[in-house]
Amino acid sequence: MEPTRDSHATLVDLLDRILDKGLVLYADIIVSVAGIPLIGVNLRAALAGMETMLKYGVMQDWDERIRAWERENRKERELPLASGEQVVLKMLGSYLYSQGIYTSWRQGYFYVTDRRIALYLLTFGEVLFQASLQSIKGLAMRGGKHLSGAEREHLCLLLESGEVARLHASDSRQLRQAIERGMAALGLTWEEMPAFAMYDEKAAKLLTDGEELACAGKMWHLMALPTPGSVITDTWQSGHLYITNRRLCWWYDFEGKLAFEIPLETVAASTVGIRDVSSTLRQKRVFDVIYETEAGKKVASFSGDGLAEWEEALNRIIARQGTPLGEETDTCPQCGQEAPVNELLHKGCDRCGWVSPSVKKEMLRATAAG
Amino acid sequence: MQHGDNIRVAPPSEGETATKAGGRYLYCIADSGEKARLGPVGIDGQEVYTVPYKDVCAVVHDCPAEPYQSTDAEVVKGWVIVHQRVVDKAWEKWGTVLPLGFDTIIRGQGGSGPQQNVENWLAADYQTIKRKMEAVRGKAEYGVQVFWEPQVIARRIAETNAEIGRLEEEIKSKPRGLAYMYRQKLENALKREMEAKADECFRDFFSRIKKHVCDLRVEKTKKTDDDRQMIMNLSCLVDGDKSTHLGEELEAIDKMEGFSVRFTGPWPPYSFVGA
Repeated sequence: MEPTRDSHATLVDLLDRILDKGLVLYADIIVSVAGIPLIGVNLRAALAGMETMLKYGVMQDWDERIRAWERENRKERELPLASGEQVVLKMLGSYLYSQGIYTSWRQGYFYVTDRRIALYLLTFGEVLFQASLQSIKGLAMRGGKHLSGAEREHLCLLLESGEVARLHASDSRQLRQAIERGMAALGLTWEEMPAFAMYDEKAAKLLTDGEELACAGKMWHLMALPTPGSVITDTWQSGHLYITNRRLCWWYDFEGKLAFEIPLETVAASTVGIRDVSSTLRQKRVFDVIYETEAGKKVASFSGDGLAEWEEALNRIIARQGTPLGEETDTCPQCGQEAPVNELLHKGCDRCGWVSPSVKKEMLRATAAG
Repeated sequence: MQHGDNIRVAPPSEGETATKAGGRYLYCIADSGEKARLGPVGIDGQEVYTVPYKDVCAVVHDCPAEPYQSTDAEVVKGWVIVHQRVVDKAWEKWGTVLPLGFDTIIRGQGGSGPQQNVENWLAADYQTIKRKMEAVRGKAEYGVQVFWEPQVIARRIAETNAEIGRLEEEIKSKPRGLAYMYRQKLENALKREMEAKADECFRDFFSRIKKHVCDLRVEKTKKTDDDRQMIMNLSCLVDGDKSTHLGEELEAIDKMEGFSVRFTGPWPPYSFVGA
């Protein structure tokens, strides 16, 4: 077998060497050694990007095509309007998008027209959220926490579907006024401060000290309820499922309390399957959580949107929580072998013989003393 | 202050300021006390020349006392290739070099200019440089990466491992819910066996390769762009003509079913001149 140095095929090998290796100068007369933060950081980022591209076999043509596509698709476009529709306000803002367990603030431009409010992403020409002025039943300002932790004011719209849309704009009050003026012009009425519960406000109350909410969403739960005649039958009830870093629990909307709650450690497995959930709801997707109790294994069944995501999220959280501290594994910095963190730190790698600097120091001290 | 003796596109202004030729970009240390010019072959077409001290020299070009930086990958790629070409040229010319990593620049400081600092550094580190030079004299670095195809290996394990074979049989007769649990069990067992196998292969190949090299470094394995998995990544320091023996050994590994080998080089000994 002959070694190769063909410059295209071995560029990654070359980068590995030139970037991370070579003779090192330990002197204050050095302007930059790749690896020193701040100075070399741009360069390394650029190289890492390229290396990844090469590693994944991303070809030049593809790159060109993608860039051309991107240029084309990033041309900003205005919100398409119906004939005669008038824009009264355009303002940068965001809306809390929630789909199953996935929630995020999606950013774009709010357009308030004489007919509707829409959040529009100019760069991709995508309507992120819209509601006709007729469908708005109530408006309220609520305080809310931004990801950054800063308090800010949200405009909440109660829609006729019963849903609550949370909006945030560079000036939420001005946004509200524009909507209200538009509604007044159409002769519509609305509630000033409707009483509605926010799902995440409810969740916030559930959480104990140090507990963090990982997922939340509307979910049906199969409950054993006594029916007239005292026969216990399983029925599907509506509510909300929450997964925190400690518990999996379900809020029973009808009674306004937690009706099901288990610590994550007791979860043995979870599956998503399709079956008949009642005489009328057939072949529905059901999310079964199998958990341990003193009396043996039990199953809790849930149904709703995005079950596969729920299952995946639960497995991910359990995987992260389930490993007792110190038994996590990491890869050896030298050869990449998987080993328990503790072992790597205190004994070193049994494959390539790597030992941590602190162990090395320890050994040196021991030999010096001996 | 010796900037005057170099051809530069923009001549440095009075004194050596940080923005003009206040730095010397280092390519490598070569095994020669010769004062020589390699021509305008450096990064951005800079004139490359040597700064000798006793019987060694630093291969450098003049540059501002600022690192080369770019967010454009093509630009950076170009620089890295040029860096390598200069090191190669010096390697060819003088036989033994200690290559430096990309973007190592010596600057002026206090009363001494960058040129003076290069000489000062060579003088201060002369013993270390000589020792390292001896360690790599007449040798070259080769990259050896061994891959396997997980599917092929997994199939073979399933055929020969009793426990896994049994689990596979049992799944077929289980209802769907239980089958799911069994499949997870099977996957875990297979993962364990694969890891054990990878370990065994690593040790086997390592001992076979070790016989043909002067020194080696175990590098991190990397993700690949195809179905293969890298199970071993080595940098090997090989004595002059021994690379054919190494090549023969690697060929034997490459021929094993489900395994393949990437053999690159010869490289200047980047992996064997560090701390």
